[in-house]
Amino acid sequence: MSHAAPRPGRVEPWIQSHWDLRAAGNFIGGGSGTGLLIAGAFAAGAAYRPFALVGLALVAAGLFCVFLEIGRHLRAPRVLTHLGRSWMTSEAVVAPFLFGAGLAAAWYQTPLFVWLTALLAAAYLYCQARILHAGKGIPAWREPRVIPLIVVTGLAEGVGLTVALLAILGPLSPVPWPALVLAVLLVARTVAWRGYRKRLQAPTRALAALDQGRLAFDRIGNWVAAPLAVIAAVLASGPVAAWLAAAAGVLAVAGGWHLKITLVTRAAYNQGFALPALPVRGKGSPGAAAKPGW
Amino acid sequence: MTRWAMTVDLRRCIGCQTCTAACKQANATPPGTQWRQVLDMESGEYPDVRRTFVPVGCMHCADPPCVHVCPTTATRKRADGLVTMDYDVCIGCGYCAVACPYQARHINHRRSYAYGDAPDETEAARFDPKRMSVANKCTFCVDRIDAGLAQGLKPGVDPEATPACVNSCITQTYAFGDLEDPASNVSQLLAENHWFRMHEELGTDPGIYYIVDGK
Amino acid sequence: MTGPVRKVPQYCYQCVAGPDLLTVKVVDGIATEVEPNFAAAEVHPGGGKCCVKAFGIVQKTYNPNRCLRPMKRTNPNKGRDHDPGFVPISWDEALDLVAGKLNEIRAKGLTDEIGYPRVAASFGGGGTPTYYMGTFPAFLAAWGAVDFSFGSGQGVKCYHSEHLYGELWHRAFTVCPDTPTTKYVLSFGANTEASGGVAGAWRHAAARVRGLKRVQIEPHLSVTGAASAEWIPIKPKTDPAFLFGMIRVLLHEKPRDALDIFFLKHHTGSPYLVGPNGFFLRDPATRKPLLWDAKRNAVAPFDAPDTEPALEGRFTVDAIEVGADGQEWQHAGIEATTAFAKLAEHMKQYTPEWAEKVCDIRPGTIRRIAGEYLEHAQVGATIEIEGETLPLRPVAIALGKTVTNGWGGYEACYARTLLACLIGGLEVPGGTLGTTVRLNRPATSRQASISRGPDGFMHYPMNPTGKDTWQRVPKVRNAHATLVPLSANSPWSQALGPTHLAWMFRRQAPEHWPEVTAPGLWFVYRTNPSISFWETREIEKRVAEFPFTVAFAYTIDETNWMADVLLPEATDIESTQLIRIGGTKFIEAFWDHEGFALRQPAVAPRGETRDMTDIATELAARTGLLEKYNGAINRGAAGAALAGAGWDFSLDAAQEHDAATIWDRVCRAASAEVTDGKATDGLDWYREHGYRTRPIPRLTWYLFPELRKQGIRFEMPYQERLFRIGKELGARLHDVGIGWWDTQLTEYQALPAVKDFPGIWEKDAAKHGSIGDFPFWLLTSRSMQYAWGANVGSQLMDEVAGNLRGHRGVVINTGTARKLGIEEGDLVEVRSYVQSTRGPAILKQGIRPDTLLMIGQFDQWAQPYAKDMHAPSMNALVPMSLDLTDATGSAADLVRVGIKRVSAAA
Repeated sequence: MSHAAPRPGRVEPWIQSHWDLRAAGNFIGGGSGTGLLIAGAFAAGAAYRPFALVGLALVAAGLFCVFLEIGRHLRAPRVLTHLGRSWMTSEAVVAPFLFGAGLAAAWYQTPLFVWLTALLAAAYLYCQARILHAGKGIPAWREPRVIPLIVVTGLAEGVGLTVALLAILGPLSPVPWPALVLAVLLVARTVAWRGYRKRLQAPTRALAALDQGRLAFDRIGNWVAAPLAVIAAVLASGPVAAWLAAAAGVLAVAGGWHLKITLVTRAAYNQGFALPALPVRGKGSPGAAAKPGW
Repeated sequence: MTRWAMTVDLRRCIGCQTCTAACKQANATPPGTQWRQVLDMESGEYPDVRRTFVPVGCMHCADPPCVHVCPTTATRKRADGLVTMDYDVCIGCGYCAVACPYQARHINHRRSYAYGDAPDETEAARFDPKRMSVANKCTFCVDRIDAGLAQGLKPGVDPEATPACVNSCITQTYAFGDLEDPASNVSQLLAENHWFRMHEELGTDPGIYYIVDGK
Repeated sequence: MTGPVRKVPQYCYQCVAGPDLLTVKVVDGIATEVEPNFAAAEVHPGGGKCCVKAFGIVQKTYNPNRCLRPMKRTNPNKGRDHDPGFVPISWDEALDLVAGKLNEIRAKGLTDEIGYPRVAASFGGGGTPTYYMGTFPAFLAAWGAVDFSFGSGQGVKCYHSEHLYGELWHRAFTVCPDTPTTKYVLSFGANTEASGGVAGAWRHAAARVRGLKRVQIEPHLSVTGAASAEWIPIKPKTDPAFLFGMIRVLLHEKPRDALDIFFLKHHTGSPYLVGPNGFFLRDPATRKPLLWDAKRNAVAPFDAPDTEPALEGRFTVDAIEVGADGQEWQHAGIEATTAFAKLAEHMKQYTPEWAEKVCDIRPGTIRRIAGEYLEHAQVGATIEIEGETLPLRPVAIALGKTVTNGWGGYEACYARTLLACLIGGLEVPGGTLGTTVRLNRPATSRQASISRGPDGFMHYPMNPTGKDTWQRVPKVRNAHATLVPLSANSPWSQALGPTHLAWMFRRQAPEHWPEVTAPGLWFVYRTNPSISFWETREIEKRVAEFPFTVAFAYTIDETNWMADVLLPEATDIESTQLIRIGGTKFIEAFWDHEGFALRQPAVAPRGETRDMTDIATELAARTGLLEKYNGAINRGAAGAALAGAGWDFSLDAAQEHDAATIWDRVCRAASAEVTDGKATDGLDWYREHGYRTRPIPRLTWYLFPELRKQGIRFEMPYQERLFRIGKELGARLHDVGIGWWDTQLTEYQALPAVKDFPGIWEKDAAKHGSIGDFPFWLLTSRSMQYAWGANVGSQLMDEVAGNLRGHRGVVINTGTARKLGIEEGDLVEVRSYVQSTRGPAILKQGIRPDTLLMIGQFDQWAQPYAKDMHAPSMNALVPMSLDLTDATGSAADLVRVGIKRVSAAA
């Protein structure tokens, strides 16, 4: 969180200074972690432990970022007190259940706990998407299509991580299905991105920041990663396939993280101020509307 | 029912910042934090240029995004429409600040002083540790309203029960009163004039009305 | 904070547009908050409010940078680069030091070998320091001759031509529209929303909502322009061309009877007949100016009863003409015409098409504005006020500072006053009004200040220009009585002279001019000429030459840096003073009440600071002037005479009295004065209530009824008197070999002509390089947050002023900036031939492409906080020269400059 005193007198939208990389860290850790917990349930089955532990660690890291961000650390438990209204509370309420189920799944690796963990992870991921969407003061966040974008990127990151984990953990084994799923999710992510970007109405600088981030997120994170995943799936086995799959997974994760950093910091221009009508000064004329920075 | 609301007559405002200064003093906000501020907005191109002064701050919305998002209920909306802050409950997460489309919320993580690294006497005396690292914003001078009402005074009419910005204004830009009362000053002004509300399209139902012309 | 709470009534008079009444909230003995004095809404013309500056008083009190102990200089070398080495001393030592020097001076004589007072004093802010300096004026009165002529802003930062010509024409030291009634205002750079005070802001806001149309004509879009119906971006210093274009339209493109013919005939000098030498034709026996009586088809003295004066025409008359120095011409059977006809002929040349070439405004716009002005004037309409039927002319013209000072100021003021006369709108409801008198007496009443002169116009106390009466050797260093007859002879006249000449001639006296000596002792109070005047680097050097400077200090600043003794005063809410309020004062401060208001200690004085009254008393005692000092207070030097009809609260002249005792007596006398002796409440009553007033007639707002009663005409349109005085002054100066004032003498015209006013600045710049080196005009604009308040060291003002774009930077037209490769926030250097200054570029559409703007006055290098703002200031850039000095001794805040980008935004 920025310690700089607010600079008064600004009219055009400026980048909000209340949430910084620490907040982005929560969306990164939470998104990738829950994605991994979900993907692991599909991909690993009985060998869920590493997925559960890494996934929970990521979610925990994200929450620790939030802990660092808030002003009154000792009051952190109060975050639980606005259930039913605040998506931040919902996220916080889901978290202990997620950790409980996740740890149980890691310990017992039974389908019940694995799938319960995946379900709670999905809820957690959805909460995160809604948290961003409820940030009504930030045009780049409040666009409803940010919800599928955040959800799908979380899933893509999770599958990307799964693919990378499978490649790294196991012997360099064939990974056709996870790679194919990754490719599908990356296509879905680029569709979600395009839908979001097309609908988005935001200050010109916010749009420029998003478009500037497009290379890392969409071009590389989606368009480069997806073919790599497809090639890996087609090759089906062998070290090349594994490395290609791992590369696709890493790019998918990196792209998603880049998107969240861009969304939460660089593109997080606030609403600014606008005048739908100008005052009539004495016997003057009303003048055109003004919406600086849009 | 009561809904406290404010009208801001943009025809009158001259950007003098008297309300800004009065608010800072009435609410002891630290340097750089302005619950009420008056913007200087230029529009058009030379020589067809307009310059408009626009007082802004918490709009005390009827559907306040800050209240929805607050994970602690530190921010609440009262039955009389005032959006309040409980400094003892707020965790300073900043969610309300990014949810507010009016840039009305502030969080001060470090003490700051008018001069140098130490408070002057009045700053020291008025420092409230409760306000550190939690969200703060315009309260419509809720303490004055409540104390005034308790004494039988009428907010918007009796200065002791009226927000400091309204009291201080040297151009009668502001009026404050009960929107639900058709006889109130604000209701009358809204009936007699053309007005808009800032970012009305966002559906927050803000409680500050900007008057731009007579009917 | 939970301790006892008090709300202590105070006033704020930091700017001339005051005073405003307020309360200071004190909790547990600490001042916390300023609020309007809500009770004062019943008497104050601005709803009892106070402006943003007043809210700075709390921070001002607790500013840790304050001087809290008396100090003396230890470094004998003075100058910006010499640390004064101030060391704390006791009050006794400080007062002994000052009194010792004063006693030494007194022993030598109050005036020096040239004849100048050995003691000088400079105060800032249009006289506002007197509302904070307690009884110090009584000490100065007791002392005797004091030179007040070292300026700190006057002449270049004031409405100088308006002050002088305004008082001549309608007792209007300052001028404003009758805002509560007017419907149409043309404002040529008058920045009312920044400088009109609470009353101005309050009334104009109400007027806008009521439907007033105000057109703002100025090179940049000020806050006042922002609040106006229309902005017309005129080229700097060409306002007279626009105004003359309007006059031409009214005189030659509109039907004559659309003007207020009755007003012109009976209430101005329009029908006076003018002779071939340019002077009025007069009756040989009575020497009264003549007019042509159409009723009898014969000449008649201007004041003959039952005449029908001819406004135009050619008439054959026998008469005399009286010129300069009593020269007379006898005329028999000459053909003569009226002053009005001369005016009409003179104005023919100033077509809107001609004006466009000068002021860069389309002829159609000038014609439209002239038409709107005439249409809104409602010629023929009347209004009844307090039983008296008066013309109602709801149109007015307001002029700003750079318009009314320096070359072109006379022409602009003339045109404005004439335009009011043409529609009968001078000093009548809805029209153009004067608000205060300073050069005429008494200063408390405009009505009481007028009497009929021999020519039927208002008497005016010109400084004499006769062979035997002219003041050959100036009595004060700026020579106002010698060079500026219009500056008159009131207590304010010194400060209204060419106050920069005192500084300029210190450096080098011109030919045939006595040396301008340094004063033996210089008092400085609430002023900082080292940064606030023009060509401030030069001023700073002159200040450093003064041998003994006594500064009443709030913080260290750029002027008291050169002082020998610093005396820390108890400031606004730490000390006591009762002042007069109400009546009609500067700018828009028309009240419907008059009376007194108190400033009192809300908190204990910080450190060892002392009430100015106690300091003054101590100085009087230590210089043996106690009796005279108390006598001055008894006579009214503290604001009210202590004895009156039925009351006597006089002080024992032989005794020292503390501030509380003195002000208790003043309060009692004030109570008695306001209530005609019924009440005699003292200090305690005012401490509780803050102010006491009584209603005054609304008619006091308007001078016209009094003029009509006394049969006095406005001295318009023909300036015979000025024409004569100019000739006499020229003769006197030439008699002693002075030719360096010849250009100034050209201003004394009976019918002013528009000259190439911008060219004066362009030629001056061209002397020091190519005009191409200085392609821009640099202007300044006032800021309500800073104007007059000496609050540049206030963090609160800095913060809130930051909300208005323009502070702390160089405002440049966006298109121009882009052409020069300058982006928002880039550091730029602005350079005149005298000096350069730097600041961040602020790109705005609301400024002419050929103009730059710097708001406020920031060139501090010593004053804490302010010196770290690194804001640009034009004061160091404006050259101080005779070429730029007009006949009233003023110059405009205007300079030709170049600009270059230094670096990218930080």
